[in-house]
Amino acid sequence: MLNDPQHYVTGVLNRDRLTLARTITLIESTHPNHQQLAQTIVDRLLPYTGRGIRIGITGVPGAGKSTYIERFGTMLTGLGHRVAVLAIDPSSSRSGGSILGDKTRMERLAVDPNAFIRPSPSGGTLGGVGRKTRETMLVCEAAGYDVVIIETVGVGQSETTVASMVDFFLVLMIAGAGDELQGMKKGVLEVADAIVINKADGDNLLRAEIAQKEYQTALHMRMANSPNWCPPVLTCSAVEGKGIDKIWETILDHRDKLTVSGEMAEKRKTQALDWMAFLIDEGLRHWFYTSPHVREALPTLRRNVEENKTSPTAAADSLLAFLYTRNGR
Amino acid sequence: MAQHPQLPKWTEIAEKQMKGKSVETLSWMTPEGIKVKPLYTAEDLEGMESANTLPGMAPYVRGPMATMYTGRPWTIRQYAGFSTAKESNAFYHKALAAGQKGLSVAFDLATHRGYDSDHPRVAGDIGKAGVAIDSVEDMKILFNGIPLDQMSVSMTMNGAVIPILAGYIVAAEEQGVAHDKLEGTIQNDILKEYLTRNTYIYPPTPSMRVISDIMAYCSREMPKYNTISISGYHMMEAGANSVLQTAFTLADGVEYVKAALKSGMDVDTFAPRLSFFFGIGMNFFMDIAMLRAARFLWYRLMSQFNPKNAKSSMLRTHCQTSGWSLTEQDPHNNIIRTTLEAMTAALGGTQSLHTNSFDEAIGLPTDFSARIARNTQIIIQEESQICHVIDPLGGSYYLESLTNSIINESQKIIDEINELGGMAKAIESGMPKMRIEESAARKQARIDQGLDVIVGVNKYKLANEKIDFEVREVPATVRDEQIARIKEIKASRDNVAVERALADLTNAAKNGGNLLEAALPAVRARATVGEISTAMESVFGRFVATTRCISGAYSSEYTGDNNAVTAIKQRTNVFLEKQGRRPRLLVTKMGQDGHDRGFKVVASAYADLGFDVDISPMFQTPEEAAKMAIENDVHLVGASSLAAGHKSLIPALIEELKKIGGGEILVVAGGIIPPGDYDFLYKAGVKAIFGPGTPIPESADKTLALLEEKYLQ
Repeated sequence: MLNDPQHYVTGVLNRDRLTLARTITLIESTHPNHQQLAQTIVDRLLPYTGRGIRIGITGVPGAGKSTYIERFGTMLTGLGHRVAVLAIDPSSSRSGGSILGDKTRMERLAVDPNAFIRPSPSGGTLGGVGRKTRETMLVCEAAGYDVVIIETVGVGQSETTVASMVDFFLVLMIAGAGDELQGMKKGVLEVADAIVINKADGDNLLRAEIAQKEYQTALHMRMANSPNWCPPVLTCSAVEGKGIDKIWETILDHRDKLTVSGEMAEKRKTQALDWMAFLIDEGLRHWFYTSPHVREALPTLRRNVEENKTSPTAAADSLLAFLYTRNGR
Repeated sequence: MAQHPQLPKWTEIAEKQMKGKSVETLSWMTPEGIKVKPLYTAEDLEGMESANTLPGMAPYVRGPMATMYTGRPWTIRQYAGFSTAKESNAFYHKALAAGQKGLSVAFDLATHRGYDSDHPRVAGDIGKAGVAIDSVEDMKILFNGIPLDQMSVSMTMNGAVIPILAGYIVAAEEQGVAHDKLEGTIQNDILKEYLTRNTYIYPPTPSMRVISDIMAYCSREMPKYNTISISGYHMMEAGANSVLQTAFTLADGVEYVKAALKSGMDVDTFAPRLSFFFGIGMNFFMDIAMLRAARFLWYRLMSQFNPKNAKSSMLRTHCQTSGWSLTEQDPHNNIIRTTLEAMTAALGGTQSLHTNSFDEAIGLPTDFSARIARNTQIIIQEESQICHVIDPLGGSYYLESLTNSIINESQKIIDEINELGGMAKAIESGMPKMRIEESAARKQARIDQGLDVIVGVNKYKLANEKIDFEVREVPATVRDEQIARIKEIKASRDNVAVERALADLTNAAKNGGNLLEAALPAVRARATVGEISTAMESVFGRFVATTRCISGAYSSEYTGDNNAVTAIKQRTNVFLEKQGRRPRLLVTKMGQDGHDRGFKVVASAYADLGFDVDISPMFQTPEEAAKMAIENDVHLVGASSLAAGHKSLIPALIEELKKIGGGEILVVAGGIIPPGDYDFLYKAGVKAIFGPGTPIPESADKTLALLEEKYLQ
């Protein structure tokens, strides 16, 4: 690993695939030296970011996310766009390893010279996904990718984190997924800018249209989170390539409406502030849990709580109080 | 259930012999989830519908024919195809002279996938895993001197079925043989291709139409020809246990029947021509029972279609001994394994059989190894005297119980498939593929722990492996020869007529019409296999594989406190700590080789050991694989090769990596690679080679050591 940040900055700006890939590795690394180096690189690249359209895509397993992105992405490169796809794969909680198989379902996009696909292991920490992915997205923008797609599996909490860093958040559904709707965090639908019912093809077409109506009703019942945008429910068939262009039109329409009204600029500002707040939270937690006193006291306290010798509240208070005194307050 | 009156007494004696331990501890849970007891009695068979029936009569448990081998033994049908049509033809002539009945043609992967030999995507595949066929001219050379009206010919073809079957028909025409004299089988089983073998061309819906069209044409023109061979073999090779093999194969069969009925055919016009193909593994009694159970279930399943002809619900099958059970280590043991498996097939009542050559884990069969394989069957038929009695194991308490258990367990899975809306829908849902992969990962884990013994691999290993026999080499000139002949054909044919015939075929694909019939004029006009495939592809599109991979199955089967596994997990964690990320590797398959079991088991197991594993799409070119390696920034690429493409594809990958700046990415190889090629690959820059049967912890240990040496020192 080279240690000169400028090497990476120049490479990324020159759109060199290898350097971009290695920069992302640095961003994802848990090694303190790599993190520091990555921070410098991202800071230097910051002036070149912000010009892309940022799209988040989530959906229940089996909704056809990868197949959808294959179609959607190749359509966009066909229109002259440069597309980056960041796919977050859950890591096994037992071994820590992951299977990163997204590209097997993006066969054409994977070999497209105007596309860059990077599957990333979630590494088990949700906060980590947020931090890494956001910075990776910025670096991809700096490397000239004007559409950045972030794909997550719709089973955890990472969706809302992703929604808070993109311009447009698309939730992919399939007909007959009523249970999944329950299972998916309600919050995911609340942050959706569009719901797309995939697999609207063959003998599934009718069911997809019924599902469309159901989701429309469901969306009507929630509070609008934008004065300028009412999230539509669309149908498509990623396998047959139907309805994909309509979704892109919807994204562009959303962008126009929010840009004209000034909401887009506000949104990105809010996202930046939220991001800062998030980093402070994460930093505080890290600082708290790695301080030697906490590390020392915590195991005993946990045991006491487990054995009912101390109440959880009292245990938490004593730890926090310890920090007050330590900081002279 | 009643029990033998003396069973309590027996239990007492047995437990005394076991020094007080319960006889219950002698029970064995098979991979299929069937509990096998140490002792069976007549009472176990009470009320069993499948026991005590007669051969040649429903439900056909004891065999489809009334006389079975007492009338005529099974057909010895060895699957073979070598590089060029000329070389294969010579081989067939020798085999027929040495006692083989019937031919079975293996095609190369380029042909399977509908590519001509001059197509750039298939540069590494020509003539490697079988014979390269580009046009009817090659087909004529293949069958030169073999009268097709007297020879039953089986062709393993599923993707490019239209040009190949049409080529066979036209080759016969030009020998002066009428369509209705043709006898044999085309595999034509596309559903299992989406499950395991991956040599498809078109998406499922048009592929099913191709099958219906072939059935319709042949029921009219070629009444003696088997239009489909519904195959479980490849599922077994992909790791399916015997219950999964039975259930999925029969469910595929039902799906084909439904497709044919939907296209307007009467069940009795095509169902008697359906044939099956089962794989036989090392679980001796299990697979005898499997064949018996499959016949029973097929009869039961076909009843729903109310056939009038008894033959419509009679399961006739070809069998092949398992390739997976063959080892690269101490390979002469494979002769014994194949003999046992051949006995299984015979005692199970197969109609024809292929026995593998002992060197198939190392390379393609030689004349010598092919002779031994063929003689294995001849010796059973002509020396062992087992053919004198029909279903000689019928009535065995154990075997009948096992047969009944497979019937019940398979029926459960078939019911599950029905609930999903049939096999096509089930395949779409990914269920069968996941089950097979899970079964494969579990098997690998059992082997790696030594729970499933493989002599020479995980027990009684040789200190020094040494190859003391000839290994067949595929001449590097095959591709050039094929390309020259394509050029010659294209220069000498009437290109206007070819264009017209191809346009007619495209039109039939678009607007209806029998595709096989529409392809015949194109073949007669000397259109190539690639051209004919493309003419249909322009309407149907080319199917893109979905590779799913399960995690957790390997480690959940790996139960014992195994130090090797724990140690590797610790080392991947140390790597993470020092390097800031887990060791990351890309597993890839280049060329047209669609055997993806090994590659998926490795991916799944390595993830369970704490690696981050990227999986590439199937059928990659070296350039594509290198791009992916760079983009995902992996430490190492593992290239899997089972179809003899390693000498060109893997060095090309290494070159390409260097070219695009990924020179530091390590490359290892796995699969069927003749030991004689190891040095060649090491010189090309390959860091390690893992042959078939390498335990995962062993390969992971070596792989990790390579990475530790490079990154942690």
